[in-house]
Amino acid sequence: MQISTHELKSKVIESLKLQDITPEQIDDDAPLFGTGLGLDSIDALELVVLLEKDYGIVIKDIEEGRPAFRSVKTLAEFIAAKRPQ
Amino acid sequence: MNKIFIAAASIVTETDLPSARLGQRFGRLDLQSQLALLAVASLQIDFAKFPPDRLGICLVASAGSLTTDLNFWNGRSGVGGPSPTLFAYTLPSAAVGEIAIHFGLTGPDLCFVGDGTELITEAVDLIRSDKVDGCLCICGEVISTEVAKIISGPSAATACALFLTRAALSPDSRELREFDRDIKPLCALLCAAKSAS
Amino acid sequence: MREPIEHGVPVVIAGCGAITAVGRGLEPLRAALQKNLSGLRQSEKFSSPRFQSNIVGAAPRNFDEENPAWQLASAALQQAHESSPKVLESIPAERIGLVLSTTKANIEALERISDNRACSDSARRHLQSNLLAADLAAAHGARGPVQTISVACVSGLIAIQQGTRMIQRGEAEAVLVVGVDCLSEFVVAGFTALKALDPIGCRPFDAKRCGLSPGEAGAAIVLVRGDLMSQPAIAIRGFGSSNDANHLTGPSRDGSGLAQAIQAALAAAKLAPNEIDYVHAHGTATSYNDTMESLALHTVFGEACPPVSGSKGMLGHTLGAAGVVETICCVLAMQENFLPGTPRLSVAAEGTPARLVREPRTGVKLRNVLKLNTGFGGMNGALILSHE
Repeated sequence: MQISTHELKSKVIESLKLQDITPEQIDDDAPLFGTGLGLDSIDALELVVLLEKDYGIVIKDIEEGRPAFRSVKTLAEFIAAKRPQ
Repeated sequence: MNKIFIAAASIVTETDLPSARLGQRFGRLDLQSQLALLAVASLQIDFAKFPPDRLGICLVASAGSLTTDLNFWNGRSGVGGPSPTLFAYTLPSAAVGEIAIHFGLTGPDLCFVGDGTELITEAVDLIRSDKVDGCLCICGEVISTEVAKIISGPSAATACALFLTRAALSPDSRELREFDRDIKPLCALLCAAKSAS
Repeated sequence: MREPIEHGVPVVIAGCGAITAVGRGLEPLRAALQKNLSGLRQSEKFSSPRFQSNIVGAAPRNFDEENPAWQLASAALQQAHESSPKVLESIPAERIGLVLSTTKANIEALERISDNRACSDSARRHLQSNLLAADLAAAHGARGPVQTISVACVSGLIAIQQGTRMIQRGEAEAVLVVGVDCLSEFVVAGFTALKALDPIGCRPFDAKRCGLSPGEAGAAIVLVRGDLMSQPAIAIRGFGSSNDANHLTGPSRDGSGLAQAIQAALAAAKLAPNEIDYVHAHGTATSYNDTMESLALHTVFGEACPPVSGSKGMLGHTLGAAGVVETICCVLAMQENFLPGTPRLSVAAEGTPARLVREPRTGVKLRNVLKLNTGFGGMNGALILSHE
């Protein structure tokens, strides 16, 4: 099932309390961590909470989520693949 | 005894926050860290003039981190559990860490809980014992209405800061006097004098 | 201006007390250190999917009792008093200070209030750590200066530093330093959110380490101006602290901040690195911490690092109490001439100091001991103890 990257971006902005940025300004392929949005390890953990809360996806080991956290696009694909139907 | 100087003083409240942007992730900080960081930024000191390991930070949080503690704990029963970000801020010293990160200050730090009457004495001690050349003193008072009820006190959302140095930084620097022991009235006095002039 | 600051007045440890995962008092702690025992156990209270691990270092107490922070801190102070020679009795109460070290004080009261469970006035009052400190001072005969330190997991070492400075500045002749933090759902849920717990219990410096184990303790040290003691004691020789200014929860990757704190402590103690006989590490068993700590030790000591071990596999991570209780571990080792081991370590990780002590060793004279702690907010602390 496809999920809207626009909606996902809004959720990321809200959950990570990013300021002065709109979903439109986030590129689907831009790296989330390091450069890009400048997210860090605490944000990764906050994204884990978001995935469970909003999409029912439980990540036990943060390493498991790492490839999915590369960009909004990879995150959307990960959610589409893992989301309980 | 060698003199100690007050380079600047500041007071900030919640109403000063909406226009503040201190770093890319300012929005993530808890209220106490935001106010403390803003109070320090409002001093408008060029910390780059000092070696980073020669600057100390002394902070007092009047009610610890209770407001953030309660925010964290209120999220306990949600799906996915409580917020890891909020947990990282359930320490009054989180504000010290954010100030150190933002301004790159690597010297010794102290963080107290209480009324802050020891703060200036301890900052002066760090300077006099030659651990630092300058020391920030910050008093954070963040008490949400919910926490105010629990501890039967007034709510608050404010922070004040002072920067003490061994040498006068500018002609505006004022000498620290014998009776300048309590950070809150001292900041209030200096800020009132500044806005009057 | 202000009180004259007396530098170099020797400050010594007159007595200690501790309630920890290995028992009530110094005897069980000494035995656990000498036999390399672990006090970590499964706990029913934390056996729920809400928690990443149910392995904790629980002190001997009833989880239902109200105001555990008060109970643990009071019991530790009582023991420390009893273990001190008569010197305290000769000092007027106005000249005895108290420094409390805690991160969460009686946070359990917040759980009670949130759940509409019974919560006594004092349990509620001791949510505020400064009021806990004031009440402990009043109950334990300290009418001098009182401070409440909360610098994350470095709090204990900073509290010992503050007590020492109070005496050196002439504000007190003795200071009761008390560290306390209790096991709570709040703290275990928080470390679960950070995915920082080892499901099978922490393994400091081990190749397979993957997180910490939460613990609780009340620990107290009586600091006294050296000239008031009639017998030789262990002295606070020097301390140093620093901030990584790097990240809120993660330590600096290269250990430079901790190395800076160790170097400051060595300079304050007027000691060369090769005069340190033993290092008691922070050793939380998180991947980042232990690597960072090993790098910091390498920066300061090079290939000649003294023996190193850590006690969190025995006591768990007791947060605000850690610096105080681990300093007591050092005092016991110095008094009884042994090197404590590192409980729950099986295979040392690559890059850990070559002289990591796995099993305790007896007959080792420890003159100068270095105690380290680091904490959230990038804080680093180093304390050096010496035989007078």
